[in-house]
Amino acid sequence: MRANQSMVFSLAYHFLHDRDAAEEVAQEAFLALHRNLDRIDSGQHAMFWLRKVTVQRAIDEARRRKRRPSVDLEEMAEPAAGGAAGDVLLDEMLRRMVATLPEAARAVMVLRYQEDLDPAEIAEVLEMPLGTVKSHLHRSLVLLREKLERRGVGEFGWTG
Amino acid sequence: MDGLEKHLRDALARKEPPAGFAAKAGAAARRPAGTGWRGWAVQGLAAALVLVVAGGLAYRRHEGEAAKEQVMQAMRITASRLNRIQARVREVRR
Repeated sequence: MRANQSMVFSLAYHFLHDRDAAEEVAQEAFLALHRNLDRIDSGQHAMFWLRKVTVQRAIDEARRRKRRPSVDLEEMAEPAAGGAAGDVLLDEMLRRMVATLPEAARAVMVLRYQEDLDPAEIAEVLEMPLGTVKSHLHRSLVLLREKLERRGVGEFGWTG
Repeated sequence: MDGLEKHLRDALARKEPPAGFAAKAGAAARRPAGTGWRGWAVQGLAAALVLVVAGGLAYRRHEGEAAKEQVMQAMRITASRLNRIQARVREVRR
């Protein structure tokens, strides 16, 4: 249950980049699970179901709020030094960059790198063709790499 | 896996939900359906609708009472004038 809580909250948080909204979406997902318990036949099924419902609810919430990160990517502080502080800044920069991806690509990236699902599993959760999942993954990685290089963060050594 | 993917895994690692999350989720699950904020909103709208309808009926009733009172007043005035006229007629006849 505790693992499911952090999984559900993190999916919503990485999708919305807003803790309050993520908490609300996560609560809704658990409430929906509670109301559909009779349809759940195993722990694995519950996890699959929660992933699916959380991503759907997060997409709904993002559309409802038309929420985008309040800080423009171009205005973000750049990682200026290596070491732990630089890693923390790079992590935050990556989270924000992922949060600006289009909805479908964002969902694919969060399921891939938070949940470590392979493309076939992602396709099943999102009810999306496997080729589309792979295409989103490839294009998102290319886009993120380009953005990081433009900001002087090439191959993850600190150039600033 | 290249450097970017490794950093993405670190950046998108699972996070713990805020303290009290489980308690809130449990409370929400125990609450009967329709009593969340949407349930309260629906109940609030229903209450507002009842107030508007009841207010409208009361206003119409009030208007009816006022109109009735006006008619009664007019009738009282008319009766009083008639009485005075009759009294003067009686005086003139004498």
